[in-house]
Amino acid sequence: MFARQRSRCGNSPSNKVSAQKARQWSPERLHCLFIHLGGNDMLQRKYAGYLYVLPGFLLILLFIYFPIVQNIQFSLFEWSAFSADKTFVGLAQYAKLFHDPIFYQALVNNIYYAVISLIFQVFGGLVLAAVLEDKVFRKISPLFRTIYFTPVIISITVIALLFDFIYHPQVGLLNGFLSAIGLESWTRAWVGDSATAIFAAIAVSQWQSIGYIMMLFIVAIQKIPQELYEAAEIDGASKIRMFFHVTVPQVREMTFVTSTITLAGAFTVFNEVYILTGGGPGHASEVLGTYLYQSAFVHDQMGYASTIANVILAITLLISLVQMKLSKTGEE
Amino acid sequence: MKRILRFATGLLLIFSLATGCSTADTPKQASADPGGNQVSPAADQQVTLRFFHRWPRDPDKTYFEQVVKAFEQENPNIKIETEAVLNDAYKEKISVLLGTDNPPDIYFSWSGEYAYKFVRGGKALDLTSYAQEDKAWHDQLMESQLVPFTLDNKLYGVPLTIDGKTFFYNKDIFAKLNLAVPTTWSEFLSTLQTLKDNGYTPITFGNKAPWASSHYIGTLNQRMVDESTREKDYNRATGTFEDPGYVEALKKMQELIPYFNKDVNGLDHEFARQLFIDQKAAIFYAETAEVRLVEPKTKFPWGFLDFPAIEGGKGNPKFLTGAPEGFMISATTKHPKEAVKFLQFLTSKAQAEKFVKDVGKYSAVKGAVNANTATPLGIEAVERVTAAEGLALWLDTDLDIKIVDAYLAGTQQMLNGEKSPEEIMQDVRKAAQQVREQSK
Repeated sequence: MFARQRSRCGNSPSNKVSAQKARQWSPERLHCLFIHLGGNDMLQRKYAGYLYVLPGFLLILLFIYFPIVQNIQFSLFEWSAFSADKTFVGLAQYAKLFHDPIFYQALVNNIYYAVISLIFQVFGGLVLAAVLEDKVFRKISPLFRTIYFTPVIISITVIALLFDFIYHPQVGLLNGFLSAIGLESWTRAWVGDSATAIFAAIAVSQWQSIGYIMMLFIVAIQKIPQELYEAAEIDGASKIRMFFHVTVPQVREMTFVTSTITLAGAFTVFNEVYILTGGGPGHASEVLGTYLYQSAFVHDQMGYASTIANVILAITLLISLVQMKLSKTGEE
Repeated sequence: MKRILRFATGLLLIFSLATGCSTADTPKQASADPGGNQVSPAADQQVTLRFFHRWPRDPDKTYFEQVVKAFEQENPNIKIETEAVLNDAYKEKISVLLGTDNPPDIYFSWSGEYAYKFVRGGKALDLTSYAQEDKAWHDQLMESQLVPFTLDNKLYGVPLTIDGKTFFYNKDIFAKLNLAVPTTWSEFLSTLQTLKDNGYTPITFGNKAPWASSHYIGTLNQRMVDESTREKDYNRATGTFEDPGYVEALKKMQELIPYFNKDVNGLDHEFARQLFIDQKAAIFYAETAEVRLVEPKTKFPWGFLDFPAIEGGKGNPKFLTGAPEGFMISATTKHPKEAVKFLQFLTSKAQAEKFVKDVGKYSAVKGAVNANTATPLGIEAVERVTAAEGLALWLDTDLDIKIVDAYLAGTQQMLNGEKSPEEIMQDVRKAAQQVREQSK
């Protein structure tokens, strides 16, 4: 194929039309360029492939790896957004971060986020998916699938504002509901109370994301061969046993995928917390994302914010590595 | 050789694709003020100014649109591009914008430390010479309102509004319970107790966005700590906050907690205001700028109540908490003269009167708030601001943001009963130490 096209890329301008054509940028021309770079057919086979991935590679380099490296560099300086001079402080900001009680508060909140999300989204999503895929619910499952999936397509800003009304201490739906069923003593200022603020935000995420995880599991369950269930049924397995002994092992791959998504999401969460509580009261519901934002755009400590960003990166990277190691695959 | 050249061209093409968006800006900008537009020399040159403020909502928005239009008609060679974003977003955006090579020419700023940090960063134009040139314009601005825009005897901003914090109280409820207006802290507390005993919420307070508590703390600090100590502590380079008055001030705030409505940290300031309007609460600590938001909606008589004098306090009880807001000009603007001209137009008497009338806020231009432009309550509010013997600026714009954060996060927890005044002050001192070290 290359050989055939090579004839059209010759330097001899015998064919005027093709010479003219060659002056404009066309896929053919680009190909010719690559072939020229290759020199002869052997070299060309060897390198042409790399050249084709070059544009994509450069874009990733420019927009992902370059900012990461630059961010690491930024974290070594103390600087403000509206002043040009940066002061080199070395690793001082990392030392400061690891002595910062707010950082640990935020980290603990992120860990709450991760654990609760794993239980509700990954396990809960799997249960929901299994229930909806069961024969008994075949008829109505499309309806429920849509219902559970709807929150996923609503903007998180809208959702957070919506929950603002639900959590409102005096006119909110939640407190109103609790009073109506006689649990007056349970009512509280959900987002204004240090003990509940972070959980109020976590609850919103569960409500929003469970549908997405459920959808992924439904796809995985649909790929399980029906024979396995039939065999289990003949052996007299109950629905619950079938779930644990057929469904769970069969969707193992997907479980790794969803838990990676959920965990990475739990450590980079920002919107829900920012809109609902702003990290307050005090710093009770601060997460790494909001603390990063505060440091950068409110306190104007850009270097410190970069430091936090790098720590978040390190945490999520570590989680993905551990998970890849555990799953030992990467097929899906 | 030819191959390498072609390879390089290919690379260049890819890079120009990737960076296309950022480089495309430069030529556009250059053509935005096309000095070479054929005809005439300097005087008639077409000039574009970028104007950035924080009022994207009406009535302010319309007012500024009209001012810009009127100014452009008077000065056909100047064009003004306006952009506006709301409060908190403004704070974040302006910091970033001023860091770029292309900051807005004229931008809004709060006064005090908030403005000074722009000055220190070299982002604000020194307006002193312009003020000296146009004495008449300078003299019609309220002097007291220029102070928070002045650093080292140089003027860096032009105040647009004046504002002060005072209690609004429901005269109906006070009359019903036969209550006199309290003038001292102990009288104030017993008044609150009476209100509470009679089933009213004494003070409505929403601190979900924690700046609301900064106004209480700012006033209480001013009342408890003597002037020179406070001035020293509020200065970035010398603040230590070791005076016991600061702890006392927070304790006074603590004394008010039983008289606030429930769930203060879960309610926002707007909701608190609504409770006052709905007569569910008797007293509301508010800015004079809020008169325009409260007055049209209330169906009962109400008035102003000065923050009471505190027994044992070392500060002057005739001070008022409040601050002007205004505009600054970017130090790197290419058209300082035109930018100053716009601000002079904006703070001319005619425009200021229109501002008071249309927007309902109070102008820093002398005499702009009068019987033609404001309600009697509005005039009274302005009299209170101008009669004050001094201004204690908003705590959250007067102090370095790190100290503010220690204060506000701590106060939120104190309101929840999780932190003591002493613990808050420990955090504040720690933050102050960091700021001191930074300012060296």
